[in-house]
Amino acid sequence: MSTTTSRAAPARSSLAASARFKTFATTFSISGPVIYCVTQYFNWPLFTFHPATDRLVWGYEAARSGEGPNMLWYGWTATTILIAAALGLVAMMLPERISRKIPLALVWIFPILAIPYVIYSLMPWWTHP
Amino acid sequence: MAGLISTNTFWTLWLFVHLILAVGLLGALTHQAMAVALPVRQSAGGIVTRFRAVPAAGYATAVCVLWVLTFLVGSYIYTKYRIYIRIPLEQGAYYKTGGFFDFKEHVATLGLVLLPAYWYFWKNAQNPEYDNARKGVTLVLAVMCWFLFIVGHVLNNTRGFAS
Repeated sequence: MSTTTSRAAPARSSLAASARFKTFATTFSISGPVIYCVTQYFNWPLFTFHPATDRLVWGYEAARSGEGPNMLWYGWTATTILIAAALGLVAMMLPERISRKIPLALVWIFPILAIPYVIYSLMPWWTHP
Repeated sequence: MAGLISTNTFWTLWLFVHLILAVGLLGALTHQAMAVALPVRQSAGGIVTRFRAVPAAGYATAVCVLWVLTFLVGSYIYTKYRIYIRIPLEQGAYYKTGGFFDFKEHVATLGLVLLPAYWYFWKNAQNPEYDNARKGVTLVLAVMCWFLFIVGHVLNNTRGFAS
């Protein structure tokens, strides 16, 4: 008796059956890792959070003297989500004959390729004397 | 929560919630990754076979919800980490430990942005066109999840619960 564990009944929800959502989802997930690396490299946080004072500032703001550290990761993540979503929405407007050509393998290849960059970007931690 | 529990207990409870959600996510993703990497051809068998023989497609929405919840709770407690954990780590010259936490935050975001495609591929698991992409993204997410869990665990051992 053979069993198949990774198959399922055909998608019934309208979102899972939508070709346009497929284009949005794949574009979002393919572009997301790339945008995150670019956002981090150029330091484009949507906002900066200062946890010691609970202060939230649009864009980038360096840590201020006597007010503790700043946190940029929330802002980088927000920037990434906004840009990836915008790209996904734009991709949804493409004709299906074009959007069908998006290589699906990039969904898992790009995050793997992002890892060496992330490790490199953390070099000050690894090489601190 | 003032007066009911101490501030320390409050944040320790949130750290515990983060842990419980992470354990659920790790279990679901590991089952799913095993099911796609080593699909079961024969029913029954030993514990490893039964571990792989789960209805993997049914885990997709739960994995997405758990990843987002774990991410949100982790983001909430991260503010306290930044002040009360990271600064002492730096003062103690635990630079590589601190570096691995930053590595963890990046990996958590990289995983988060994969969820829409991951969910779509699994909701269309009957379509062989998505087989390779679904397998790839599930394995990547599972490896990420194990990495996040282990780094979080080691960091907690360094300076976590009740510190």
